[in-house]
Amino acid sequence: MKKKAHLKADEAKTVFGVFKGLEVRIGQIVDDEWDEPMGPTPMPSPTDLRSWDHKLLSKYKPSYMPYCQVCCLCTFGKCDLSGDKRGACGLDMKGQQARIVLAAANIGNAAHLAHARHLVDHLIDEYGPQTNLIQGPGTEIHAPVSRLATGMRPRTLEDASIILDYCESQLAHTLSAVHTGQEGSWLDFESKVLHVGMIDQISMEIADLVQISTLDFPQADPEAPLVDSGIGMMDTNKAIILTIGHNIVPAASITDYIAEKKLGGQVEVGGMCCTAWDITRRDPSAKVVGPISWQLRYIRSGKADVVVVDEQCVRTDVVNEAQKVKAPVISTSDKAVMGLTDRSDDTIDSIVEDLVSGKLPGVYIHDHHKVGAVATKVALAVMPKRRKMKFFPTKKQIQKMAQDCKKCSECIRSCPNNQPIMEAVLAAQLGNFEPLRDVYRNCIGCARCESACPNGYDLHSWMVVAAEKDCKEEIYKLRTGRGAIQDTEIRSVGQPIVFGEIPGVIAHVGCANYPGGGEDVHDMAEEFAKRRYIIVTSGCAAMSAGIVKDENGQSIYERRGGEFDAGCVINVGSCVSNPHIAGAAIKIAAIFAKRNLRGNYAEIADYIHNRVGAVGISWGAMSQKAASIAAGFWRLGVPVIVGPHGSKYRRMLLGKVEDEQAWTVYDARTGERVVTAPGPEHLFYAAETVAEANVMTAKLCIRPNDTSRGRSIKLSHYIDIHETHYGFFPEDVWKYIRRESDIPITLKEKILVQMKENKWKEKTIPDPTLLKELVMRGGT
Amino acid sequence: MKPVPWQTGEICGPDSAKSLNKAAQLKRTFTKSKKPLLIVGSDAVNMKHGKGDMIDYAIALSQAGKIPVVATGGTIKAFIEKGFEDGKSMGAMELANYLQDESWLGPHGKGPHDLILIYGIPYYMQWTLLSAAMNFGTHLTKIALGRYYQPHADWSFPNMKEKQWHEVLDEILDLVR
Repeated sequence: MKKKAHLKADEAKTVFGVFKGLEVRIGQIVDDEWDEPMGPTPMPSPTDLRSWDHKLLSKYKPSYMPYCQVCCLCTFGKCDLSGDKRGACGLDMKGQQARIVLAAANIGNAAHLAHARHLVDHLIDEYGPQTNLIQGPGTEIHAPVSRLATGMRPRTLEDASIILDYCESQLAHTLSAVHTGQEGSWLDFESKVLHVGMIDQISMEIADLVQISTLDFPQADPEAPLVDSGIGMMDTNKAIILTIGHNIVPAASITDYIAEKKLGGQVEVGGMCCTAWDITRRDPSAKVVGPISWQLRYIRSGKADVVVVDEQCVRTDVVNEAQKVKAPVISTSDKAVMGLTDRSDDTIDSIVEDLVSGKLPGVYIHDHHKVGAVATKVALAVMPKRRKMKFFPTKKQIQKMAQDCKKCSECIRSCPNNQPIMEAVLAAQLGNFEPLRDVYRNCIGCARCESACPNGYDLHSWMVVAAEKDCKEEIYKLRTGRGAIQDTEIRSVGQPIVFGEIPGVIAHVGCANYPGGGEDVHDMAEEFAKRRYIIVTSGCAAMSAGIVKDENGQSIYERRGGEFDAGCVINVGSCVSNPHIAGAAIKIAAIFAKRNLRGNYAEIADYIHNRVGAVGISWGAMSQKAASIAAGFWRLGVPVIVGPHGSKYRRMLLGKVEDEQAWTVYDARTGERVVTAPGPEHLFYAAETVAEANVMTAKLCIRPNDTSRGRSIKLSHYIDIHETHYGFFPEDVWKYIRRESDIPITLKEKILVQMKENKWKEKTIPDPTLLKELVMRGGT
Repeated sequence: MKPVPWQTGEICGPDSAKSLNKAAQLKRTFTKSKKPLLIVGSDAVNMKHGKGDMIDYAIALSQAGKIPVVATGGTIKAFIEKGFEDGKSMGAMELANYLQDESWLGPHGKGPHDLILIYGIPYYMQWTLLSAAMNFGTHLTKIALGRYYQPHADWSFPNMKEKQWHEVLDEILDLVR
């Protein structure tokens, strides 16, 4: 393997001196220790896997739901694209929708990729380019996504940097395709969506691999520590530093400083969103305050003495909000400076002085070495005074203010979930705070109601006051992110997954834009864990999965194992840990089926699509990052379900059951074209309700390769869940029966009747593939 | 006054629904339509109407106008529990896809449909479904029967007061008989 090396560093200290703005290009490095043959598509260009993409996109055609009928991206416009009209550039409505989907996926990938680049450059500065990358014990096939897509196995930080060079070049290409007068076909826009999704998976894999390798995270550890979580868990007798975002580097500087100065008895560090996972992976004494949607409620509570923000999913009004509760803000990322003064080059004491005195509402410090000291010193200094302050109004004050409600309904109209906020305010007029408490439970914390209120009510704060008791009781135990799945675990479950006897691997990932509270994520995870599916979690969804306690007061993570096995619930970590989920599916192909991974994307994606019953669920998907993460799974042929707000991504990828051609595969043993059951039926699907998501999840785990026993198990779950939630026996079971041995024994009578009514005929169980070139190579 | 979307940010493009204030406005549409389809979403279970709910209304509308019903998001269970067995179940997104196909025979195989009546899907999700129908299912007339304005329909209530909305719903019931 030959690869080009390209290193960049803002500052490098060497024996020859200190170099600023260092950039080194080395012609080629030879990796001749790896004897796995190179596959056909190492480091593919945006069109190298186009043929695979088109196979998926002809099976799962995009169904567009335009969010807007006009295009306003260039000065030709606005262009009206309604009806059959085309814009001044020639693009039609479908093309424009696909273009916007690609723009979103590009933005999402840019966030992950820039995060990865920052980590790699920072860690090279700290530890040197030859630092080994280690995913953990039992992970001989480490970095499976990178191996698969790039043909490289990243063994050092330098390798990671080279892989990111590739990713950056691809993002530039897919982003440029969005420009006016570039791509013109919806199909090719969509192919590029899949391409940038794959690039996104690589970027995230590198980001997590480098931090796992260097920052003392759990390494593929099924027994990663249980950590404290919840607003009620934060110890207000200590100074509290709240970290928000996704990038561990500044947060690590804080926990390191506290450890070094032995200040753990005086200072508490909590995280929100993915920074929460990564600080607890590094330091299990840190706490997970909650998901992205709890930012406002926690900042407004005034309990955080200092707010430190890094990047991604940070509330952009964080400085205003923190100012209301006199909490200084430290921004640490060049992506989210938040208008604050750059004090990176000043002394720690002078920065501390200006923040403690209130001279500055916050500062931007890009030198992460200073962040820990500044945040800790400021928190300790401001805490005594701040603990005497009250930031929320009392219920009595709210009752009085509520008297002036204009009953205009603007709060409801602005609420994404149409919550009855006005009715709750009217109840509060009478001293009844229960309706406001109910709204709190379903609130996603956006505060659009406040922006809309003509009286300027702090409605979100009112909800938090009404739910004061609930906030105090928000105390949970969550298992922090374990990182990768071990090869040995895959060896144990690979066969039962591929044969369908473990009925599926279900991943709950992504944001917290829930239609009705985070408990839904727990309920869905528990429903399938108890049916012995493997449940994997990451990001904010991993937090929400843990917020329901059983009768013994235990969270799902306490009562279920952290191994990659049936009935277990495995938190892989933060957003950038998602490729461990894809990686598990990829490793099944390598370990169980002995397929080569190296630069062999289409074959492995084909394997996963036809054999591995994996489904991703992002019930609160909100961001462009969620879009790019989903796209990475789509290219591997893994279906993704989102909650109802996910319909606003404006495009689904849906199969049509009656389209036989779409469900036709090659039998790799004979080369014959064989019609299979429509499974998985869809590749991207927004479900309206939890009931629908559960039914669809069970159905989307079906794969052409299921053995009869596996198919029978999968159908049993599908039928049971369908009957429970929909109230009747599903009418399409017969379509999934290939031989009588596929029929679940206890339901045989009913299914035989359905088969007879539909003139069922026995079908071949093929060795399925969508790739003609795999015919005659057999399979597993 | 021109109606505005219920959720304030859900601004539409050049096309937007006509304001539905009384049932008589639909007389011509109903007369013209040969194969309507009634789509009912999950919020209908919690929407009151008269002595019952909007599931009861759907059943009454279906029976009065011989209109087949398709329920989304698992709402079919509420129909079955009320003894109504003629409904079918589909996902809202599946419907959004099929409604773009002029030749689709519908969930009961009695299409192709030329008219849809729709309510009960969460506002923003119904908004997107109707956008698919408006932009790519141009063979359909789309009537939104929820209380709140859906700009992507052809006809929609203009964020109507609840009492008036129920009255017009009852008038529509009379109209289709």
